[in-house]
Parts: sequence; structure tokens; C-alpha cells
Amino acid sequence: MAKAEQAKCEQFPSASSVNKDDSLPLLSKTTMAEKRRSGGSGILPDSKPAKTDTEKEFLSQAGVGVLLRGALLKLVEARSEDPIGFLADHFSNLASEPDNGAAGCGDAEQQNTAEEQQQLARAMWHLRLAHHSQRSAFNNNVRIAYDLLVQSGQRRRLGGGVRGRLYTQMLRLLCGEGDVPESTAVPLLRRIQCHDHEAVPFELFRQGVLTCAVFSDYVRKSRSLYVEICPCPDKAAERTLCQAVLETLREALDTSDCADSVRYLEASAKIAPCKLAEAMALAHNPGQTQTGPSMEPQEFEDAASALFIERVRPVS
Amino acid sequence: MKLVKMNADRFTLTVDEYLAEKNVLFYLEDAINQLLDHKEEYVQFGIVRYFAEYFSSVRRGNHVLFREVSYIRATGHNRASFIRVFWRSFRQIGKNGDLLAMMEYSSLLQLLCPDFPVETVQKAARIVLMDDAMDCPMSFADFLYAFQIQFYFEEFVESVAVLYQGLLSGKSPNTVIVPTSSSVEQLPHLACDGTAAEEGVASSLLCSCIEALCERYKHNHPSTHTLREILQGPPRVSFYGFLMALAKHEGLSQDIGSLPNKADLLVDPAMDQELEKLVAQLSVSPASHSSSSAPGQKDPPRKASPRKSLYHRKRMEMESDGSNEETDSSEN
Repeated sequence: MAKAEQAKCEQFPSASSVNKDDSLPLLSKTTMAEKRRSGGSGILPDSKPAKTDTEKEFLSQAGVGVLLRGALLKLVEARSEDPIGFLADHFSNLASEPDNGAAGCGDAEQQNTAEEQQQLARAMWHLRLAHHSQRSAFNNNVRIAYDLLVQSGQRRRLGGGVRGRLYTQMLRLLCGEGDVPESTAVPLLRRIQCHDHEAVPFELFRQGVLTCAVFSDYVRKSRSLYVEICPCPDKAAERTLCQAVLETLREALDTSDCADSVRYLEASAKIAPCKLAEAMALAHNPGQTQTGPSMEPQEFEDAASALFIERVRPVS
Repeated sequence: MKLVKMNADRFTLTVDEYLAEKNVLFYLEDAINQLLDHKEEYVQFGIVRYFAEYFSSVRRGNHVLFREVSYIRATGHNRASFIRVFWRSFRQIGKNGDLLAMMEYSSLLQLLCPDFPVETVQKAARIVLMDDAMDCPMSFADFLYAFQIQFYFEEFVESVAVLYQGLLSGKSPNTVIVPTSSSVEQLPHLACDGTAAEEGVASSLLCSCIEALCERYKHNHPSTHTLREILQGPPRVSFYGFLMALAKHEGLSQDIGSLPNKADLLVDPAMDQELEKLVAQLSVSPASHSSSSAPGQKDPPRKASPRKSLYHRKRMEMESDGSNEETDSSEN
């Protein structure tokens, strides 16, 4: 009995030594051995003798180490708030990938579009992994998305970039997922989209994706600004207050021409809470209570997004 | 799991700390062990798909079904998931208004986890019955909320027990025995309370001791806010009075996130509909028919599953709805 127990303990560290090869952090030997022992008392059949080598072999043959290392790297890069959910999505995404080497013939046209949509979905999935503020992770994911989309176009095209049609479609999806309504997104897209037949180089692709991501955040922020101005949720906010806030926002966005870091500081100083409060206090007329005209949330959002969009350089 | 909230801080953690926060490596390790235990099946199923399935079920919270108790206990998420599974599987009992004894709850728990220890059930029952009349039957809701505290905060409850005993013995010469009437009154079904004048300790003293305990605690514990709220009430409190108050605290239950408020505990429209359908079938067709139709409903998920072991078949059934078990028990 004691011997069997020992055998189990021995087998354990080696089973996970595949992980060790991948330089993953590990639980201590003892906790694993303990877990193993108590696990054996459950309903699982506890039939295995010490087959350390075969297990190790099995894991490396099946590519488990590589698979898990890839997953963990992705996870650590994205630092998802819900790591378990992240891994679930990651593995199901991998599982849904088509087997490589399946040559497409016959209904080529139809197959191409289906494949294209699939690649687009996968690209979107990668873009979702990291917020744009985690710049290096975000850039990596943009690169992966770009490569996926280039591949899907290559069968018919000469290469040289992602097709303009796919690029535009992806930007639209990005804005949609960022909770930006179609009507708000259209003016922005008009500035950064490409023609269907154009080939989009990586740098442009990255800029477009980043712009959409930042824009989505911006629209969300402007929405919460409006909520702050609004005295109660079912009434529209006062027009004068909204205009004061929008004016402050505009000033913050207009920064002088100097180094980036200085401009960031300047902008954040201009939009600081005290500045906003000041502007609102100036605009607010305590004499007249709630009789002034109001501004609907949609109008505020449109005005705020217009401020953003007019600063986006159009793609020629 | 919800008690450990992650926010933007996660970017400042080291990789190890980040992974430890939600027990990522624990789950990965378990996934590998499971894989090794059922190699042939899972290779056929597809290893990537297996991992996808594993982590999806962890996310959904039905990964604890039919697992050994050491696994269920291992993480806060697992404990919360198990409490939820227990509730979902047996709420029909509560609906029927049945009162069950401690051993019967123990049997129910063992249906979900074969090696579930009786001691834990016993301790939960002690909370409900205030350590008295241990063979009294309990309502499902009372037991469930007490069980939640006992199981989810197991280590915390143990520590407080030790602390309480220390306070009690240290102060016993001067202790004035005051029946903590407020906490006893909260127990509607405890018939034999009046005679037992409970000993207790000063709430404020217990509160400060527990807060000090929480500060250096590595296990899950109720938020200090909740603890203060509970211990600011009566001037003196008994151990079981304190636990009972924890069990009845709705905010705490929300923090754990497994169970709804007491008012919604037994509400299950989907299940009711299903039952009504079955009852309708029963009244229309002869008995032999209806008995064959019930298992028939469960066949599709079984066939769809490429896994063959009994253990996984059961698991898949539960995953498909989570309420099939109830259908069975009330049907037969």
C-alpha cells in the first residue's frame, strides 16, 4: 500500500514536468501529491500504475505542452480580468479553426467568402483580447489579425495587404462592438475606410483599428459625461450646460503643436474636473431653474463625436 | 470567487501573482490530470476541444459535479459553484415544503459529490438548529443558507470557533449570562429555545477580534463591512447566533454570488413549465408510456457526447440543463 502511494507521488511531478520544460510556474510537489492522493479516493477509477514515461511521452506527443504554453502566453499578455473565461474562449477559438491544408476547389467563390468571414471572425477575436491601452499586446494582436486577413485574401489576389473591403468591414464591426451606433460611426468610417479594391498596408491597418478602438472609448466616455450633467435619468440635460461641457472638450482636444507627451498633459489639464466644473458653473444660471432648453443624449453624443472626427486625418 | 475582485491592479501583479489570483494553474493542472485519466476518450474527442470544454464548464460552474470533495473545496469558485449546483438540483424539495433531517441532506449532497463529508453537513445543521435538537428536520432554504456559510467560509468559521472559545473561557468568571433573544427569535422553527439560556460574548469584543483575524487571513472571509453590520446589533452574541446572522445576511450571499435572495430561491418558471408538461403527459397517456418518454428526452445529449464514461455522461446531462435531475426525482 505504502509503495503504491509512493509510486503515485512519484508519477505526479513527472506528469507535470512537461510544464516545467515550458518554464511554467508550478505548485509544490507536496500539494500535488496530496491532491493526487485525495483524488484517488473519489469516484474516479484509480487504476494506473506508475507509467511516468508514457504519460510524459503522451503529453509531448499530443502537443499539450505547446498548446498550454501558447494559451498561457496569450493570457499573461492580455491579463484578462476573467482568466478562466479567457482560456475557455481561447481553446474554443482554436478548436473551431479549420484544419490546415484543406484545399478548396469546386465552388471556389462561395468557399472563399465563407472562409473570409471565418478569418474575419478570428481576426476580431484577436483584436478583442487586449485593450488598446496595453499597447504592446494590442499591437501584437493587430499584427496577428492583419496576417490572418492577408492570408484569406491571398488565394485570389496578388497580395500586398488586406483588401480594402475586408478592412472597411472590420472597422465597422469594431465600432459596432464598441457600442457605437451606426449613425455615429459612419462619418468616422468615411474618413478612414479604403476602397474595396485597394490593398491596405499594415501601418494604415493598425491606425484604422486603433482609431476605431479609441473612438469607441471616447463615445462611451462622452455618454458618461452626459449622464453626469443630467440631473435625473429620465430628463434631458440643460442645453447651456451641455454646450459648456462640449466647449471644454473642444478646447482640450485643440492642443498646441509640440511633443506628444506635453500635449497629453496639456489636454488632461484642460479637461480636468475643476475646469469642467468651472465652465459649468459659469454657464449655469441659478436664477432660472430648469426652464432653459434641453439637449437630448443623442445630440450630445453626435456633437462630441463630431469633435473627435474632425481631427481624424482622412485616408486619401 | 466574486469576493476576490480583480481590477486594474492586475497589470501591476507579477505573472505568478496574476495566475494565482484566479487559480489558473490549479485548473490547468487538474485539466491535465483529467486528460491523463481519460486519455483514449479525449484524444478521440480532440485535445483542444477537451480543454475548451473543460474551461467552459469551469466558467459555467458545473465542473464540480461528481468530483471529489478535495477538488470542490480547492477554490472559492469551486465552492460557490457547488453551492449553486446543490441549490439548482434540489430546489424542488424546498418548493414542496418538505423538511429534511441532517442525514437526508447529507445523502443529497453525496449524490452530487460521493465523498462529501458528513461533518460539514452536521456543522451546517448546527447553525440552523443553534447547536440544539440535532435531529430536528430543517427546511431547504434554512439549510441551504447555513450550508453556504459553513462550506464557503469553512476555514473562517473554524477560526472564529477557536477565537470564540478563547474569549469565552478567558472571560468566564465575570461573564454575565444573557440570553441573546434577538438571535433566537430569528429561528421560527426552533421549538425548544426558551429554556436554554445561551452564553455569549460581547459583540464589540468579538467584532474587533474577528477584524484582527481577517487582516492576516489568507482564506476567504466575509467583508469587514458585513461583519460590523452584524456585530453592531445586539450587545452580546453567541457563536451560533453569529453564524446564523451570517447565514441570513443577504448582502453576504450576494457577494458569494451562488444563490438568489430568499424570495427568489424557489422560483423556477422553466422547471415548473417542464413539470406541468410532464403532468399533462401523465394524465393523457397510460403510465407505461410516460415513463418511457421521460428518459427519451434525455437521450439526445447522451448520444451527442463522444465521451463514454458514466461519470461524464452524467456530467453532460447536467450541463444540458441542470434541472433534469429534478425532473427525475419528482417524476418517479
